[in-house]
Amino acid sequence: MAGHGLLPDNEYRRLVELIEREPTTVEETIFSIMWSEHCSYKSSKNILKILPTSASNVVIGPGEDAGVVHFTGEGDDSWCIVIAHESHNHPSQVLPIEGSATGIGGIVRDVYCMGAKVVAVMDPLRFGDPDGEKRYRTRYIANGVVKGIADYGNSIGVPNLGGDVYFHQGYDDNCLVNVVAVGVVRRNSITRSAVPHKAKERPYKFILVGKATDDTGFGGAAFASEILNEEETDKGAVQVHDPFLKRVLTVATFKVLEEAHKSGITIGFKDLGAGGIACATSELASKGGFGADIHLERVPVSIEGLKPEVIACAETQERYALVVPDEFVNRVLEIYNVEYELGKVYPGAQATVIGEPRMDGLYRVHYNGEIVCSVPAKTITEGIFYERKRKERKQSAFISGRRIQIEEAFKKVISNLDVCDREPIFSHYDSTVQGNTILPPGFSEAGVIKPIDDKETCLAMAVDGNPRWGLIDTFWAGAGAVYEAVRNVVCAGGIPICITDCLNFGSPEDPVVFNDFHRAVEGIAYACNTIGRLDSPGEPLPVVSGNVSFYNENAEGEPVPPSPIIACLGKIDSIDDIVMSKIRNEDTELIFIYDPENIERIGGSVYQSIIASTGGEIPHFDGEYVRRMINLIIELGRKGHINVCKDISDGGLITALFEMIYDVRVDGGALGIEIDIGCLPHNDETVLFSEAGGFIVGSVGERINKIKNLTEEAGVTFSHIGRAVASDQFIVRRNGTVLVELNINELNELYRQPLREVFEWQAG
Amino acid sequence: MAGRVAVIQFPGTNCEMETLRAVKHVGLEGDIVRWNEPEHKLRSYDGFIIPGGFAHQDRVRAGVIAAKDPVMAVLTEEAEKGKPIVGICNGCQVLTESGLIPGLEPGRVEMAMARNRMENRWGFYHRFVYIRRMPETPDCAISVSIGENDIIALPIAHSEGRFATTDEKLLKAIEERQLPCFIYTDRKGNTAVKFPDNPNGAMFNLASLSNRAGNVVGIMPHPERAIFRWNLAPIDTKTPNIHSGYNIFKSLKQYIEKVS
Repeated sequence: MAGHGLLPDNEYRRLVELIEREPTTVEETIFSIMWSEHCSYKSSKNILKILPTSASNVVIGPGEDAGVVHFTGEGDDSWCIVIAHESHNHPSQVLPIEGSATGIGGIVRDVYCMGAKVVAVMDPLRFGDPDGEKRYRTRYIANGVVKGIADYGNSIGVPNLGGDVYFHQGYDDNCLVNVVAVGVVRRNSITRSAVPHKAKERPYKFILVGKATDDTGFGGAAFASEILNEEETDKGAVQVHDPFLKRVLTVATFKVLEEAHKSGITIGFKDLGAGGIACATSELASKGGFGADIHLERVPVSIEGLKPEVIACAETQERYALVVPDEFVNRVLEIYNVEYELGKVYPGAQATVIGEPRMDGLYRVHYNGEIVCSVPAKTITEGIFYERKRKERKQSAFISGRRIQIEEAFKKVISNLDVCDREPIFSHYDSTVQGNTILPPGFSEAGVIKPIDDKETCLAMAVDGNPRWGLIDTFWAGAGAVYEAVRNVVCAGGIPICITDCLNFGSPEDPVVFNDFHRAVEGIAYACNTIGRLDSPGEPLPVVSGNVSFYNENAEGEPVPPSPIIACLGKIDSIDDIVMSKIRNEDTELIFIYDPENIERIGGSVYQSIIASTGGEIPHFDGEYVRRMINLIIELGRKGHINVCKDISDGGLITALFEMIYDVRVDGGALGIEIDIGCLPHNDETVLFSEAGGFIVGSVGERINKIKNLTEEAGVTFSHIGRAVASDQFIVRRNGTVLVELNINELNELYRQPLREVFEWQAG
Repeated sequence: MAGRVAVIQFPGTNCEMETLRAVKHVGLEGDIVRWNEPEHKLRSYDGFIIPGGFAHQDRVRAGVIAAKDPVMAVLTEEAEKGKPIVGICNGCQVLTESGLIPGLEPGRVEMAMARNRMENRWGFYHRFVYIRRMPETPDCAISVSIGENDIIALPIAHSEGRFATTDEKLLKAIEERQLPCFIYTDRKGNTAVKFPDNPNGAMFNLASLSNRAGNVVGIMPHPERAIFRWNLAPIDTKTPNIHSGYNIFKSLKQYIEKVS
């Protein structure tokens, strides 16, 4: 093995070619991180080019720490949304609390460093089977992950506005913990992660701020690109979080950004994530067209005797790098070190000058008078590229399963872990801090906030991605995840403005996995292109940020269920246009809006798993029809014709109806449902359990006719199926014949209990 | 001139922005004041709010380190002059640990904000709750413009919010309704009888408790997060006497106008 064995032989040879000599240890360490899959996207970047990333509302697309899209207002009063989406899968599998907490810590830094205020986070989670062979480990991980998210997110004062959770034995050895952070920033206050051009004219300095550097997370980025096995748990590669210090850092940093903005000073700002000081400062330098001199002996450390490559590349949490002009340096140090007394808040924490930009593009790291790295900054950040092989997956055969009573199936579906009440998770998260929350999780298909004080515009957000679909067909799983996230945002009254993706797959070196990945990206692109921007016809719905996480496998080398996970943001012009998913009033009439061509595809549904059926087709969406449906829903909401709207997804129509009345109390007691599906020309199971997407809208009186007219004009089916009533019965009929007649209280308990049992925490 | 309120920012506080916004929304003036700012600046305010968060990381237990911070000695003196001090959530924990509430013997810690006691669960808990004044109790700085039958809907977000004491004098003072306080109720305003209407197992269903004079108040739910009607979207607000946190801050304004 060449060098120190940090790089595979072929990459080591490539490095020697590039720099025309043997690398130093520090250089080899830096390149091993920058060329990891996690940092370089070496397998995926060519495929990701398929995604539509530009549209007229995109301010900064993929490539920086976070994507930026225009949100509301114009000119000097123009506001943008900043969004980042990442995975923290491997660390969470090894140390669930620390792993999920640092996941939040890392993603909020990505948004903060664009100069934005973080206004929400969301967490898509995928765990193993809590009743399977590895149930103890799975439950330990699930509980730890939720605790880590709660501990960290609640402490930094950012509301958790949603997420989703699925359980599948395919995640037994490799859970998925994705995290989305959303921020707002005035367009003219966006900070770039680059040494400013002005550094050509006057001297600038690099300032490192935050926790004193230690050896935690050393090799973390490379770790993220490895396959986990049970013997080597690599705990040292998981970073240690500190939300308390993060909060103080954030408050102080806002003061720095505000003063810089007021005095017209341009600064560069970047969070320290993968690869620590070396990667952050070389990227800042490279992006601005500069090099840098970085002096490692000036870096505050909390452990003596750290090697230079550790100081340069450890992933100690809660740190930022700033590039500020000389005349602003003392003020910055004063804000952090004197006004906010970082050193007293956390031992060793401080802001320190560690270097300066170079004009010649060379990135040089000095340590006690020695030059330990000297390579052009561009060479470090340029990355590396691999062409991967692809091979079509063998389709699993269709097995039709056994028929069971509809009532029985209904009860099993709503008590399925992928369907039942999520309250035992989200009630651990603070969803109203910052005081901007309108709809926290549980009341709408999307979380809704009003993020800017003097603006009426509200923001809706949702995440989705169905692993049962990923196992059957990744093209339609990718497309379906986009459609579902979009539908959720639309239900709440939001016009989709962008999406982000986090693509969680096995090893890209496995041609079948790589083909699955490729197909998923194609599916996402198809959905974004067909839905487009409702508020700017002709443009695609842009993908503005994202992340690829490969090497998610179990101990036997089997990949996790292919998991393209999508987050969608939507804009709601007025508070009055927001629509809930809970029925508030008895005698609400219910209308089912769906795609009759697609509903027959029940492959990958919860119902299918309950009747022990496998294979078959998952929903194939007609993009044009979906577009008509979502346009219609937006119009109905804006015109005030509907007072409730729900998306059909896991568990189908019958589950959606139940969720609309779950736990709702009216003056007479519980709220019940009475529907008749006689008007729907499909078999009973298909109507009630298909997850092919669609909407239920609720309304009253004269408005029903208006809805009917608009629906017909839109070329979409209109099916008036029944109503909510003051009763404790859930009744489904077909042309008068009773198919389901169940007590609401019994259903409530079936829906309420399953996750409680998984997340039953022991005191202490 | 409008009253001026200092919103105290400890390291780890995280509700200061929305608290200041609520102060200004009801027509008070205010600033966020860091824990280490000069004493004379602090003393120039007419009232103080210790907002929610995790002051000094809630090391040891919630509120206890902040309670020993020099800033609290200044606030104690200002409270003796009759200025209002309101502690919200973590602020309530800080005031308890400082011995400012209930303050029967000032400076003595007479009560604990203990870990939530909940059915089948443990840890941090977020939900919307309903509170109202305990009947026949005196006014305090956050209740002067709230009627006995008014129900206030607010979110709670805490893991240590259970008012608990074994202090005989305190138990007696609460039973005899000598201390201003708010209690958890159901959505109709009936005293809570069980979880989750009482979300943390607090004694007497207490959601808020004051000192005898009514100028120092601790409250566990978050009125600053429910200042606007739209903050209550998850709550069915058909009941006519359901109000938001706005009335809590309006009371504070009225109280400051009265004392200053």
